[in-house]
Amino acid sequence: MTVSLSIRIAITFSFVLLASCHDQDGEFARPREQRDQPVELVLLDDGRPHPAVLAGDQTVTRGNGEEPQTLDPHQAEGVPSANILRDLFEGLTTEAPEGDIIPGAAIRWNISRDARTYTFYLRRDMLWSNGDPVTADDFVFSLRRAASPATASPSATMLLPIYNAREVLADELPVEDLGIALLDEYTLQITLTGPTPYFLGLLTHPVTYPVNRRNLEEFGDEFSRPGKLVSNGAYVLKDWKHRVSIELEKNPRCREAENTIINHVIFMPIEDVSVEVTQFRSGGLDWTNEVPNNQFAWLQRNYPDELVISPWMGSYFFGFNLEVEPFIQNPDLRQALIFAIDRQIITDKVTQFGEQPSFALVPPGIDDYVPFVPEYADWTQQRRNEEARRMYELAGYSNENPLRIEIRYNSSENHKKIALAIASMWKQVLGVNTSLVNEEFRVFIQNRQQKAITQVFRAGWISDYNDAYSFLELFRTGDGRNDYGYSNSIFDAVLAEVATERIRARRSRLMFEAERILLTDFAIIPIYSYVTKRLVDQHLKGWQNNVMDHHLTRYMYKLKSRVKGSADSLNVGGGEHQ
Amino acid sequence: MRQEGLLLHAASRLLGLIPTLLLLITIAFFLIRLAPGGPFDSEKILPPEIKANLDAKYHLDEPLVKQYFRYLGQIITLDFGPSFQYKDWTVNELIARGFPVSLTIGGLAMVLAFLLGTLIGIVAAMRQNSAVDYSLMGVAMLGISIPNFVVAPLLILVVAVYAGWLPAGGWDWSVQRMVLPVITLALPVIAYIARLTRGSMIEVLNRACDQSRRSGAHEGNHGQQRRFERMPADDQVLRQTLGPGRANVIAVKHLDHTAAGQAGNVGNHR
Repeated sequence: MTVSLSIRIAITFSFVLLASCHDQDGEFARPREQRDQPVELVLLDDGRPHPAVLAGDQTVTRGNGEEPQTLDPHQAEGVPSANILRDLFEGLTTEAPEGDIIPGAAIRWNISRDARTYTFYLRRDMLWSNGDPVTADDFVFSLRRAASPATASPSATMLLPIYNAREVLADELPVEDLGIALLDEYTLQITLTGPTPYFLGLLTHPVTYPVNRRNLEEFGDEFSRPGKLVSNGAYVLKDWKHRVSIELEKNPRCREAENTIINHVIFMPIEDVSVEVTQFRSGGLDWTNEVPNNQFAWLQRNYPDELVISPWMGSYFFGFNLEVEPFIQNPDLRQALIFAIDRQIITDKVTQFGEQPSFALVPPGIDDYVPFVPEYADWTQQRRNEEARRMYELAGYSNENPLRIEIRYNSSENHKKIALAIASMWKQVLGVNTSLVNEEFRVFIQNRQQKAITQVFRAGWISDYNDAYSFLELFRTGDGRNDYGYSNSIFDAVLAEVATERIRARRSRLMFEAERILLTDFAIIPIYSYVTKRLVDQHLKGWQNNVMDHHLTRYMYKLKSRVKGSADSLNVGGGEHQ
Repeated sequence: MRQEGLLLHAASRLLGLIPTLLLLITIAFFLIRLAPGGPFDSEKILPPEIKANLDAKYHLDEPLVKQYFRYLGQIITLDFGPSFQYKDWTVNELIARGFPVSLTIGGLAMVLAFLLGTLIGIVAAMRQNSAVDYSLMGVAMLGISIPNFVVAPLLILVVAVYAGWLPAGGWDWSVQRMVLPVITLALPVIAYIARLTRGSMIEVLNRACDQSRRSGAHEGNHGQQRRFERMPADDQVLRQTLGPGRANVIAVKHLDHTAAGQAGNVGNHR
């Protein structure tokens, strides 16, 4: 931590104030960046920025989508609240800027030979924001609270790998029977039902965060309010103006307080993404939650350095109802329909916001997994179309006897555009007569689950944790989310093996095999894998793209001036423009 | 005596509201339950155990009739219970936090609309059929026909993004953050009031002219009307014409719920 400057990155520092306001060359559209001259970034030996390059005011304003439903970590659900809770609390493990799982409240852990017992050794110097020490008992108390039926946590699914969790949630066993044991003040043991390689990752999820017992006993249901909430993370809750902003302030008692540069974080709930863009352009936001699809091309031209696109842990696909005609027992027809879609056109011309065309279920970028890519992914679309026509005829359809089907989707401009494009491709290549049916979201969800009137329908999955299994298990026979009616005993058997396999490489191979079976059965229509896309102020650094899209504010810092060159010079993979 | 009658009338009207409200509440309650889906539905299907816990917590597992009477009881005691959506807060708290903002924006917009609208209306009426009148009324017509959702982003783009004079959104009770929403909300109402004021003023002016014409009919002077219209906007004219005209404006404002409703929206979203 000496201030010996590494000359890895050169030292230049030249401030020129404000190039004149009336920039003539069409820069009217983007006034905010023209205020300062770029400099080169100076980093210390430990990779942190030199204090001299930092801005005086270390406040970051982040667009955060919807108003969070709650800041009680055990009651919370959804991305907006999780973004804030990750800044407020720290679980047993936490995430590095690039998404790697690193020690959090636990400084180290042992995993038993059968991969079912985890022993966590907690840091002995960790404090709550009220000064109480963070102990193993806090975690026992909190995990039991999260699993208790009285808490009714909507995210309790994440706890299901823990031994007896299902029975505790169903109120069949008392919470004391949950597989968690207190070994001593700073040691904790968690027993699992089966080996769960992604368990350390699950422990970064808010539902596993500790809450302060004294805090909860004092304030009851109101403990998660500003002025009351006690947290153990990098920040504390300062203010919550409903539907306006949530303000966090640096927690001086946090173990990382010395290394935390941003002092204030303001999360703005802005549901309308185009409002986010205007806020960003007027300087009111440093970081948007998203960007609107219809402005994507414009932003690409006008804000190339601020627009950040990165693969995300989600897949967009259409499902077949495999329990009814015409798709039941008809892989040829399904193959024809899958082949006849030109995915490149959908992502380049229809959606136009940087998604990756996909032929598989599991998106790229997932830990310990290389997705299965079918052979036809490399074919030309023309060849796929020919094959599609052949299979269509094999399935007994022709121009004289065309297939008539419905594509069902929940009302949304984007789903509609994609459904329309697919319908016209099927018409053009195969002569299929497709009608589009749009439904209100809850009606749509219910119809999907009932599997009676659906044929082809909009589907997709964004995972809560970094594991391919999260995608594959949707297709297990009898899974509550298997709206496809997919049932293959070999697939189920492979999945069962995945659940108990503790050697990572073998487990990865098994999942690959499961995905191969699913895709060879032509069970779904893969379309694209999701990306995250947002605008980030050029002064804000320290974050990195990661497939979970988790960005802890404590890693960030704000520069006095923009960094010279492109945004990518510092951020690994920052601004990956397709 | 007369006051008592008035009170009685008001009381009977208020009482008459109760069955109407009860009916509305009942229909709303059962319609929501008839519609498919529940408050905790999402694409991530919850395991049955978790769903049952949630339902129990919010009393959704009880028989519908019991839920209905629980809800009625809450309404009568004006305690709407915990919010399904924002679990840290009660519905009452959410209303208490949002309403003052809506009231402020809506109230300021109202005041602004009234002042500016009346002023524009008077000027236009006094200069009836002149270039000033036509241009003011043309702008007013534009104000009525361009909806808020077009005006608001335009103002944001010009004032906040290009010029950088005011923030593009957010709320902290500062004047800077009130300016744009208040103007946006007031604009159509300004236009509306301006047209009304102008109309009713001209009507009163004409009536006054008729009267003076009748009284001065023996002079056979038709030029009088014109002269009257062109009289300077002195106190006399304003008092005579604006008084009855304003009553019209106020009456219309009572019917016009749009501004208040939109103010509510702005307050909720910003």
